[in-house]
Amino acid sequence: MPVPVSQAWTVATYVLKQKLAGRKRYPLVLMLEPLFRCNLACAGCGKIQYPAHVLKMNLSPEDCFKAVDECGAPTVAIPGGEPLMHPQIHEIVAGLVARRKYIYLCTNALLLKEKLHLFTPSKYLSFSVHMDGEREHHDFSVCREGGYEIALEGVRAAIARGFRVTTNTTLFEGADAKSVRRFFDDMMEVGVEGVMLSPGYAYDKAPDQKSFLGREGTRNLFRKILSNRKPGWRFNMSPLFLEFLMGKQTFECTPWGMPTYNLFGWQKPCYLLQDGYADTFQELMDSTAWEKYGTASGNAKCANCMVHSGYEASAVDATFGSLRGLWATAKATFSSTYADPAALKALEQPAPPSSSLVQIGAPKEEVGA
Amino acid sequence: MSAELLDAIEKAFDYRGDITITTKDGRSIEGYVFDRRPGESVRLLPKDGSGQKVTVPYSDIADLAFTGRDTAAGKSWEGWVKKYRERKAAGETGIALEPEPLE
Repeated sequence: MPVPVSQAWTVATYVLKQKLAGRKRYPLVLMLEPLFRCNLACAGCGKIQYPAHVLKMNLSPEDCFKAVDECGAPTVAIPGGEPLMHPQIHEIVAGLVARRKYIYLCTNALLLKEKLHLFTPSKYLSFSVHMDGEREHHDFSVCREGGYEIALEGVRAAIARGFRVTTNTTLFEGADAKSVRRFFDDMMEVGVEGVMLSPGYAYDKAPDQKSFLGREGTRNLFRKILSNRKPGWRFNMSPLFLEFLMGKQTFECTPWGMPTYNLFGWQKPCYLLQDGYADTFQELMDSTAWEKYGTASGNAKCANCMVHSGYEASAVDATFGSLRGLWATAKATFSSTYADPAALKALEQPAPPSSSLVQIGAPKEEVGA
Repeated sequence: MSAELLDAIEKAFDYRGDITITTKDGRSIEGYVFDRRPGESVRLLPKDGSGQKVTVPYSDIADLAFTGRDTAAGKSWEGWVKKYRERKAAGETGIALEPEPLE
Protein backbone atom coordinates (compact mmCIF):
# COMPACT_ATOMS: atom_id res chain seq x y z
CA MET A 1 0.00 0.00 0.00
CA PRO A 2 1.71 3.25 -1.10
CA VAL A 3 -0.26 5.52 1.24
CA PRO A 4 0.94 5.49 4.87
CA VAL A 5 -1.33 3.62 7.26
CA SER A 6 -1.99 6.79 9.28
CA GLN A 7 -3.25 8.58 6.16
CA ALA A 8 -5.43 5.64 5.12
CA TRP A 9 -6.81 5.46 8.66
CA THR A 10 -7.55 9.20 8.76
CA VAL A 11 -9.42 9.06 5.45
CA ALA A 12 -11.26 5.87 6.37
CA THR A 13 -12.47 7.17 9.73
CA TYR A 14 -13.43 10.52 8.18
CA VAL A 15 -15.54 8.85 5.48
CA LEU A 16 -17.15 6.51 7.99
CA LYS A 17 -18.05 9.49 10.18
CA GLN A 18 -19.73 11.15 7.20
CA LYS A 19 -21.64 7.95 6.51
CA LEU A 20 -22.73 7.59 10.14
CA ALA A 21 -23.83 11.23 10.15
CA GLY A 22 -25.92 10.52 7.06
CA ARG A 23 -24.13 13.12 4.93
CA LYS A 24 -24.69 12.29 1.28
CA ARG A 25 -22.39 15.02 -0.01
CA TYR A 26 -19.09 15.58 1.73
CA PRO A 27 -15.67 16.83 0.65
CA LEU A 28 -12.75 14.44 0.60
CA VAL A 29 -9.96 16.50 -0.94
CA LEU A 30 -9.86 20.29 -1.04
CA MET A 31 -8.26 21.59 -4.23
CA LEU A 32 -6.63 24.78 -3.00
CA GLU A 33 -5.30 27.05 -5.74
CA PRO A 34 -3.38 29.83 -3.99
CA LEU A 35 -2.37 31.51 -7.27
CA PHE A 36 -2.78 31.15 -11.03
CA ARG A 37 0.76 32.21 -11.96
CA CYS A 38 2.99 29.54 -13.50
CA ASN A 39 6.54 29.23 -14.75
CA LEU A 40 5.46 26.93 -17.56
CA ALA A 41 3.15 27.80 -20.44
CA CYS A 42 1.75 24.40 -21.39
CA ALA A 43 -0.26 24.77 -24.59
CA GLY A 44 -3.03 22.45 -23.41
CA CYS A 45 -3.59 24.18 -20.06
CA GLY A 46 -6.48 26.56 -19.46
CA LYS A 47 -5.67 27.29 -15.84
CA ILE A 48 -3.35 30.24 -16.27
CA GLN A 49 -4.93 32.41 -18.93
CA TYR A 50 -5.87 35.51 -17.03
CA PRO A 51 -4.97 39.20 -17.19
CA ALA A 52 -1.71 40.15 -15.50
CA HIS A 53 -3.40 41.76 -12.48
CA VAL A 54 -5.11 38.42 -11.73
CA LEU A 55 -1.92 36.43 -12.27
CA LYS A 56 -0.08 38.68 -9.81
CA MET A 57 -2.51 37.89 -7.01
CA ASN A 58 -1.95 35.36 -4.22
CA LEU A 59 -4.27 33.92 -1.63
CA SER A 60 -2.90 34.82 1.80
CA PRO A 61 -2.09 32.02 4.27
CA GLU A 62 -5.07 33.23 6.33
CA ASP A 63 -7.37 32.92 3.28
CA CYS A 64 -6.10 29.38 2.78
CA PHE A 65 -6.55 28.37 6.42
CA LYS A 66 -10.08 29.78 6.49
CA ALA A 67 -10.99 27.75 3.39
CA VAL A 68 -9.42 24.58 4.80
CA ASP A 69 -11.22 25.00 8.14
CA GLU A 70 -14.53 25.74 6.42
CA CYS A 71 -14.25 22.71 4.18
CA GLY A 72 -13.06 20.19 6.74
CA ALA A 73 -11.68 17.68 4.22
CA PRO A 74 -8.84 15.54 5.60
CA THR A 75 -6.70 16.02 2.50
CA VAL A 76 -5.64 19.21 0.72
CA ALA A 77 -4.18 19.26 -2.77
CA ILE A 78 -2.39 22.49 -3.68
CA PRO A 79 -2.27 22.96 -7.46
CA GLY A 80 -2.30 26.31 -9.25
CA GLY A 81 -0.55 27.85 -11.14
CA GLU A 82 2.75 26.75 -9.73
CA PRO A 83 2.46 26.80 -5.92
CA LEU A 84 6.21 27.06 -5.38
CA MET A 85 6.01 30.56 -6.95
CA HIS A 86 3.78 31.67 -4.06
CA PRO A 87 5.96 33.77 -1.73
CA GLN A 88 4.33 32.31 1.39
CA ILE A 89 3.81 28.73 0.28
CA HIS A 90 5.95 27.41 3.13
CA GLU A 91 3.74 29.25 5.65
CA ILE A 92 0.64 27.79 4.03
CA VAL A 93 2.08 24.28 4.18
CA ALA A 94 3.24 24.71 7.79
CA GLY A 95 -0.24 25.89 8.78
CA LEU A 96 -1.86 22.90 7.13
CA VAL A 97 0.59 20.46 8.71
CA ALA A 98 -0.27 22.02 12.09
CA ARG A 99 -3.90 21.26 11.27
CA ARG A 100 -2.93 17.64 10.52
CA LYS A 101 -4.11 17.83 6.95
CA TYR A 102 -2.55 15.48 4.42
CA ILE A 103 -1.13 17.77 1.75
CA TYR A 104 -0.29 17.08 -1.88
CA LEU A 105 1.70 20.05 -3.12
CA CYS A 106 1.32 19.72 -6.90
CA THR A 107 4.37 21.15 -8.59
CA ASN A 108 6.14 21.05 -11.93
CA ALA A 109 9.29 20.87 -9.79
CA LEU A 110 11.22 23.50 -11.76
CA LEU A 111 11.77 25.30 -8.43
CA LEU A 112 11.64 22.28 -6.14
CA LYS A 113 15.35 21.78 -5.56
CA GLU A 114 15.98 25.43 -4.69
CA LYS A 115 12.91 25.73 -2.45
CA LEU A 116 13.23 22.46 -0.53
CA HIS A 117 14.96 24.17 2.39
CA LEU A 118 11.72 26.03 3.10
CA PHE A 119 9.95 22.81 4.06
CA THR A 120 10.33 20.13 6.71
CA PRO A 121 9.72 16.47 5.91
CA SER A 122 6.46 15.28 7.42
CA LYS A 123 4.07 12.42 6.97
CA TYR A 124 1.49 15.11 6.21
CA LEU A 125 3.37 16.59 3.25
CA SER A 126 3.88 15.04 -0.18
CA PHE A 127 5.31 16.76 -3.19
CA SER A 128 3.17 15.61 -6.09
CA VAL A 129 5.39 16.23 -9.09
CA HIS A 130 3.81 16.72 -12.49
CA MET A 131 5.47 14.22 -14.80
CA ASP A 132 3.66 13.50 -18.07
CA GLY A 133 5.58 10.34 -18.87
CA GLU A 134 9.04 9.65 -20.21
CA ARG A 135 11.41 12.51 -21.06
CA GLU A 136 10.26 13.15 -24.62
CA HIS A 137 6.56 12.94 -23.79
CA HIS A 138 6.86 15.09 -20.68
CA ASP A 139 8.87 17.82 -22.39
CA PHE A 140 6.49 17.91 -25.33
CA SER A 141 3.46 17.99 -23.06
CA VAL A 142 4.74 20.84 -20.89
CA CYS A 143 6.18 22.65 -23.92
CA ARG A 144 9.68 22.85 -22.52
CA GLU A 145 12.68 20.85 -23.58
CA GLY A 146 14.78 19.95 -20.57
CA GLY A 147 11.79 20.13 -18.20
CA TYR A 148 11.91 16.42 -17.44
CA GLU A 149 15.52 16.53 -16.27
CA ILE A 150 14.91 19.48 -13.97
CA ALA A 151 11.81 17.83 -12.50
CA LEU A 152 13.64 14.55 -12.00
CA GLU A 153 16.47 16.36 -10.24
CA GLY A 154 13.90 17.92 -7.91
CA VAL A 155 12.29 14.55 -7.26
CA ARG A 156 15.63 12.98 -6.40
CA ALA A 157 16.61 15.86 -4.13
CA ALA A 158 13.29 15.73 -2.27
CA ILE A 159 13.50 11.97 -1.77
CA ALA A 160 17.10 12.29 -0.58
CA ARG A 161 15.99 14.81 2.05
CA GLY A 162 13.31 12.47 3.34
CA PHE A 163 10.22 14.01 1.80
CA ARG A 164 7.28 12.01 0.56
CA VAL A 165 7.19 12.32 -3.24
CA THR A 166 4.54 11.15 -5.68
CA THR A 167 4.11 11.93 -9.35
CA ASN A 168 0.97 12.95 -11.20
CA THR A 169 0.50 12.24 -14.89
CA THR A 170 -2.22 13.45 -17.23
CA LEU A 171 -2.74 11.31 -20.30
CA PHE A 172 -4.11 12.56 -23.59
CA GLU A 173 -5.32 11.08 -26.85
CA GLY A 174 -2.53 9.16 -28.54
CA ALA A 175 -0.55 8.43 -25.37
CA ASP A 176 1.87 5.54 -25.83
CA ALA A 177 0.84 2.86 -23.32
CA LYS A 178 4.18 1.06 -23.47
CA SER A 179 6.01 4.27 -22.79
CA VAL A 180 3.76 5.01 -19.81
CA ARG A 181 4.55 1.57 -18.40
CA ARG A 182 8.28 2.22 -18.83
CA PHE A 183 7.73 5.51 -17.04
CA PHE A 184 6.23 3.62 -14.08
CA ASP A 185 9.37 1.47 -13.96
CA ASP A 186 11.54 4.59 -13.99
CA MET A 187 9.60 6.28 -11.19
CA MET A 188 9.68 3.17 -9.02
CA GLU A 189 13.43 2.99 -9.54
CA VAL A 190 13.83 6.63 -8.54
CA GLY A 191 11.95 5.79 -5.36
CA VAL A 192 8.71 7.76 -5.52
CA GLU A 193 6.03 6.68 -3.09
CA GLY A 194 3.46 6.16 -5.83
CA VAL A 195 2.19 7.51 -9.13
CA MET A 196 -1.11 9.21 -9.82
CA LEU A 197 -2.88 9.18 -13.17
CA SER A 198 -5.76 10.99 -14.76
CA PRO A 199 -7.15 11.30 -18.27
CA GLY A 200 -6.99 14.83 -19.67
CA TYR A 201 -10.34 16.43 -20.20
CA ALA A 202 -11.52 19.16 -22.54
CA TYR A 203 -12.92 21.59 -20.01
CA ASP A 204 -14.19 24.92 -21.24
CA LYS A 205 -11.04 26.95 -20.84
CA ALA A 206 -8.57 24.38 -22.17
CA PRO A 207 -7.19 25.62 -25.50
CA ASP A 208 -6.68 22.11 -26.85
CA GLN A 209 -10.20 20.86 -27.40
CA LYS A 210 -9.33 18.00 -29.74
CA SER A 211 -6.76 15.94 -27.91
CA PHE A 212 -8.74 14.86 -24.90
CA LEU A 213 -9.92 11.34 -24.41
CA GLY A 214 -13.49 10.16 -24.87
CA ARG A 215 -14.79 7.59 -22.38
CA GLU A 216 -14.18 4.57 -24.59
CA GLY A 217 -10.74 5.85 -25.50
CA THR A 218 -9.97 6.35 -21.82
CA ARG A 219 -10.99 2.83 -20.90
CA ASN A 220 -9.00 1.30 -23.76
CA LEU A 221 -5.89 3.29 -22.93
CA PHE A 222 -5.98 2.60 -19.20
CA ARG A 223 -6.78 -1.07 -19.75
CA LYS A 224 -3.58 -1.33 -21.79
CA ILE A 225 -1.57 0.58 -19.22
CA LEU A 226 -2.92 -0.88 -16.00
CA SER A 227 -3.55 -4.53 -16.91
CA ASN A 228 -0.76 -7.06 -16.38
CA ARG A 229 0.78 -4.88 -13.69
CA LYS A 230 4.27 -5.36 -12.49
CA PRO A 231 4.38 -6.25 -8.79
CA GLY A 232 6.60 -3.31 -7.89
CA TRP A 233 4.31 -0.59 -9.23
CA ARG A 234 2.72 1.61 -6.59
CA PHE A 235 -0.24 3.90 -7.20
CA ASN A 236 -1.12 6.70 -4.82
CA MET A 237 -4.80 6.52 -5.71
CA SER A 238 -7.99 4.69 -4.90
CA PRO A 239 -7.70 1.17 -6.39
CA LEU A 240 -11.34 1.34 -7.39
CA PHE A 241 -10.73 4.57 -9.30
CA LEU A 242 -8.03 2.80 -11.30
CA GLU A 243 -10.53 0.03 -12.02
CA PHE A 244 -13.00 2.71 -13.10
CA LEU A 245 -10.47 4.05 -15.59
CA MET A 246 -10.01 0.50 -16.91
CA GLY A 247 -13.77 0.08 -17.38
CA LYS A 248 -14.14 -2.39 -14.51
CA GLN A 249 -16.21 -0.14 -12.26
CA THR A 250 -19.05 2.28 -12.90
CA PHE A 251 -19.39 5.43 -10.82
CA GLU A 252 -21.32 8.67 -11.00
CA CYS A 253 -19.53 11.99 -10.65
CA THR A 254 -19.32 13.46 -7.14
CA PRO A 255 -17.88 16.93 -7.82
CA TRP A 256 -18.43 18.02 -4.20
CA GLY A 257 -15.88 15.34 -3.22
CA MET A 258 -13.02 17.53 -4.46
CA PRO A 259 -14.17 21.15 -4.15
CA THR A 260 -11.95 23.94 -5.46
CA TYR A 261 -11.09 27.18 -3.69
CA ASN A 262 -9.09 29.92 -5.38
CA LEU A 263 -8.75 33.69 -5.79
CA PHE A 264 -12.33 33.93 -7.01
CA GLY A 265 -13.91 31.87 -4.21
CA TRP A 266 -15.46 28.39 -4.16
CA GLN A 267 -15.68 27.22 -7.75
CA LYS A 268 -18.96 25.82 -9.11
CA PRO A 269 -19.34 22.95 -9.71
CA CYS A 270 -15.89 21.34 -9.89
CA TYR A 271 -12.19 21.67 -10.47
CA LEU A 272 -12.53 21.90 -14.25
CA LEU A 273 -15.79 23.68 -14.98
CA GLN A 274 -16.25 27.30 -13.98
CA ASP A 275 -19.95 28.03 -13.79
CA GLY A 276 -19.58 30.63 -11.09
CA TYR A 277 -18.29 31.10 -7.56
CA ALA A 278 -19.65 30.96 -4.03
CA ASP A 279 -18.27 33.01 -1.15
CA THR A 280 -18.43 30.22 1.42
CA PHE A 281 -18.14 26.46 1.32
CA GLN A 282 -21.66 26.13 2.70
CA GLU A 283 -22.97 28.40 -0.05
CA LEU A 284 -21.20 26.21 -2.61
CA MET A 285 -22.86 23.09 -1.22
CA ASP A 286 -26.28 24.71 -0.88
CA SER A 287 -26.48 26.79 -4.05
CA THR A 288 -24.88 24.56 -6.69
CA ALA A 289 -27.39 22.75 -8.90
CA TRP A 290 -25.49 19.46 -8.59
CA GLU A 291 -28.13 17.58 -10.58
CA LYS A 292 -27.07 19.53 -13.68
CA TYR A 293 -23.60 17.97 -13.72
CA GLY A 294 -22.05 14.53 -14.26
CA THR A 295 -22.74 12.00 -16.98
CA ALA A 296 -26.14 11.09 -15.51
CA SER A 297 -27.30 14.69 -15.98
CA GLY A 298 -26.89 14.61 -19.74
CA ASN A 299 -24.77 17.78 -19.53
CA ALA A 300 -22.66 17.77 -22.69
CA LYS A 301 -19.74 19.38 -20.82
CA CYS A 302 -19.55 16.30 -18.59
CA ALA A 303 -20.20 13.61 -21.20
CA ASN A 304 -16.65 12.30 -21.59
CA CYS A 305 -15.17 13.22 -18.25
CA MET A 306 -13.54 10.48 -16.15
CA VAL A 307 -11.20 12.81 -14.30
CA HIS A 308 -10.05 12.12 -10.74
CA SER A 309 -11.59 15.34 -9.45
CA GLY A 310 -15.03 14.01 -10.36
CA TYR A 311 -14.67 10.31 -9.80
CA GLU A 312 -11.95 9.44 -7.31
CA ALA A 313 -14.08 10.60 -4.40
CA SER A 314 -16.89 8.45 -5.83
CA ALA A 315 -14.54 5.47 -5.73
CA VAL A 316 -13.53 6.15 -2.13
CA ASP A 317 -17.17 6.55 -1.17
CA ALA A 318 -17.91 3.19 -2.82
CA THR A 319 -15.14 1.56 -0.80
CA PHE A 320 -16.82 2.50 2.44
CA GLY A 321 -20.39 2.26 1.15
CA SER A 322 -20.76 -1.52 1.48
CA LEU A 323 -18.94 -4.72 2.39
CA ARG A 324 -18.75 -5.40 -1.34
CA GLY A 325 -16.89 -2.12 -1.82
CA LEU A 326 -14.49 -2.90 1.00
CA TRP A 327 -13.84 -6.36 -0.36
CA ALA A 328 -13.26 -5.07 -3.90
CA THR A 329 -10.82 -2.49 -2.58
CA ALA A 330 -8.93 -5.01 -0.45
CA LYS A 331 -8.72 -7.40 -3.38
CA ALA A 332 -7.52 -4.66 -5.72
CA THR A 333 -4.96 -3.45 -3.19
CA PHE A 334 -3.38 -6.70 -2.14
CA SER A 335 -3.84 -9.30 -4.82
CA SER A 336 -4.68 -8.27 -8.34
CA THR A 337 -2.20 -7.88 -11.20
CA TYR A 338 -5.14 -7.64 -13.63
CA ALA A 339 -3.85 -10.32 -15.99
CA ASP A 340 -5.37 -9.60 -19.40
CA PRO A 341 -3.90 -11.30 -22.51
CA ALA A 342 -5.91 -9.09 -24.87
CA ALA A 343 -4.51 -5.95 -23.25
CA LEU A 344 -1.02 -7.41 -23.49
CA LYS A 345 -1.53 -8.03 -27.19
CA ALA A 346 -2.87 -4.52 -27.70
CA LEU A 347 0.33 -3.17 -26.15
CA GLU A 348 2.30 -4.68 -29.01
CA GLN A 349 0.48 -2.63 -31.61
CA PRO A 350 2.50 0.23 -33.11
CA ALA A 351 2.90 3.28 -30.91
CA PRO A 352 1.95 6.76 -32.11
CA PRO A 353 4.71 8.81 -33.81
CA SER A 354 7.39 9.79 -31.33
CA SER A 355 6.69 13.53 -31.30
CA SER A 356 2.95 13.05 -31.31
CA LEU A 357 1.68 12.86 -27.78
CA VAL A 358 -1.69 13.72 -29.26
CA GLN A 359 -3.42 13.13 -32.54
CA ILE A 360 -2.43 16.17 -34.49
CA GLY A 361 -4.92 17.86 -36.75
CA ALA A 362 -4.39 20.62 -39.26
CA PRO A 363 -2.99 23.66 -37.45
CA LYS A 364 -5.55 26.44 -37.10
CA GLU A 365 -3.84 29.04 -35.01
CA GLU A 366 -0.33 29.84 -34.07
CA VAL A 367 1.04 30.16 -30.62
CA GLY A 368 3.57 32.75 -29.66
CA ALA A 369 6.51 30.38 -29.38
CA MET B 1 -32.13 45.16 -19.89
CA SER B 2 -31.64 44.45 -23.59
CA ALA B 3 -31.04 40.95 -24.94
CA GLU B 4 -27.85 42.31 -26.45
CA LEU B 5 -26.51 43.34 -23.05
CA LEU B 6 -27.51 40.03 -21.47
CA ASP B 7 -25.62 38.24 -24.23
CA ALA B 8 -22.61 40.51 -23.68
CA ILE B 9 -22.59 39.63 -19.97
CA GLU B 10 -22.49 35.91 -20.77
CA LYS B 11 -19.65 36.51 -23.22
CA ALA B 12 -17.80 38.59 -20.63
CA PHE B 13 -18.08 35.68 -18.19
CA ASP B 14 -16.30 33.42 -20.69
CA TYR B 15 -13.79 36.05 -21.77
CA ARG B 16 -10.17 35.72 -20.63
CA GLY B 17 -9.39 39.41 -20.60
CA ASP B 18 -10.59 42.57 -18.87
CA ILE B 19 -13.84 44.30 -19.67
CA THR B 20 -15.16 47.73 -18.78
CA ILE B 21 -18.61 48.24 -17.33
CA THR B 22 -20.23 51.65 -17.44
CA THR B 23 -22.99 52.04 -14.90
CA LYS B 24 -26.17 54.05 -15.33
CA ASP B 25 -24.84 56.71 -12.94
CA GLY B 26 -21.77 57.15 -15.14
CA ARG B 27 -19.16 55.17 -13.21
CA SER B 28 -16.63 53.10 -15.12
CA ILE B 29 -15.23 49.83 -13.72
CA GLU B 30 -12.52 47.91 -15.54
CA GLY B 31 -11.63 44.38 -14.50
CA TYR B 32 -11.93 40.63 -14.95
CA VAL B 33 -15.42 39.13 -14.75
CA PHE B 34 -15.06 35.94 -12.72
CA ASP B 35 -18.69 35.38 -11.89
CA ARG B 36 -22.17 36.30 -12.89
CA ARG B 37 -25.38 35.42 -11.18
CA PRO B 38 -27.93 35.30 -14.00
CA GLY B 39 -30.56 37.97 -13.66
CA GLU B 40 -28.87 39.44 -10.58
CA SER B 41 -25.30 40.66 -10.76
CA VAL B 42 -21.85 40.53 -12.30
CA ARG B 43 -18.75 40.14 -10.12
CA LEU B 44 -15.32 41.48 -11.09
CA LEU B 45 -11.77 41.69 -9.86
CA PRO B 46 -10.87 45.30 -10.70
CA LYS B 47 -7.76 46.02 -12.72
CA ASP B 48 -6.49 48.36 -9.99
CA GLY B 49 -4.97 45.34 -8.24
CA SER B 50 -6.78 45.99 -4.96
CA GLY B 51 -8.06 42.43 -4.97
CA GLN B 52 -11.40 43.68 -3.68
CA LYS B 53 -14.24 41.93 -5.50
CA VAL B 54 -16.83 44.29 -6.95
CA THR B 55 -20.47 43.36 -7.48
CA VAL B 56 -22.50 45.24 -10.07
CA PRO B 57 -26.26 44.56 -10.27
CA TYR B 58 -27.53 43.89 -13.79
CA SER B 59 -29.97 46.72 -13.32
CA ASP B 60 -27.08 49.21 -12.88
CA ILE B 61 -25.26 48.29 -16.10
CA ALA B 62 -25.56 50.76 -18.96
CA ASP B 63 -22.79 49.43 -21.17
CA LEU B 64 -20.17 46.70 -21.31
CA ALA B 65 -17.06 46.75 -23.50
CA PHE B 66 -14.31 44.20 -24.08
CA THR B 67 -11.37 46.49 -23.42
CA GLY B 68 -8.60 44.08 -22.39
CA ARG B 69 -6.65 41.60 -24.48
CA ASP B 70 -8.04 38.06 -24.64
CA THR B 71 -5.25 36.13 -22.92
CA ALA B 72 -6.44 32.84 -24.42
CA ALA B 73 -6.43 34.07 -28.01
CA GLY B 74 -4.00 32.44 -30.40
CA LYS B 75 -2.98 29.69 -27.99
CA SER B 76 -3.58 26.18 -29.16
CA TRP B 77 -1.96 22.79 -29.00
CA GLU B 78 -1.79 22.68 -32.79
CA GLY B 79 0.04 26.00 -32.79
CA TRP B 80 2.65 24.64 -30.37
CA VAL B 81 3.13 21.48 -32.43
CA LYS B 82 3.59 23.48 -35.62
CA LYS B 83 6.04 25.92 -34.06
CA TYR B 84 7.92 23.11 -32.34
CA ARG B 85 8.40 21.23 -35.57
CA GLU B 86 9.52 24.34 -37.41
CA ARG B 87 12.05 25.25 -34.74
CA LYS B 88 13.27 21.67 -34.43
CA ALA B 89 13.72 21.47 -38.19
CA ALA B 90 15.77 24.68 -38.05
CA GLY B 91 18.15 22.96 -35.61
CA GLU B 92 17.08 24.87 -32.53
CA THR B 93 17.55 23.30 -29.10
CA GLY B 94 16.06 24.10 -25.72
CA ILE B 95 12.72 24.88 -27.33
CA ALA B 96 10.11 26.11 -24.89
CA LEU B 97 7.01 28.21 -24.54
CA GLU B 98 7.62 30.91 -21.96
CA PRO B 99 4.92 32.42 -19.74
CA GLU B 100 4.00 35.93 -20.81
CA PRO B 101 5.59 38.71 -18.76
CA LEU B 102 3.24 40.23 -16.20
CA GLU B 103 3.16 43.65 -17.83
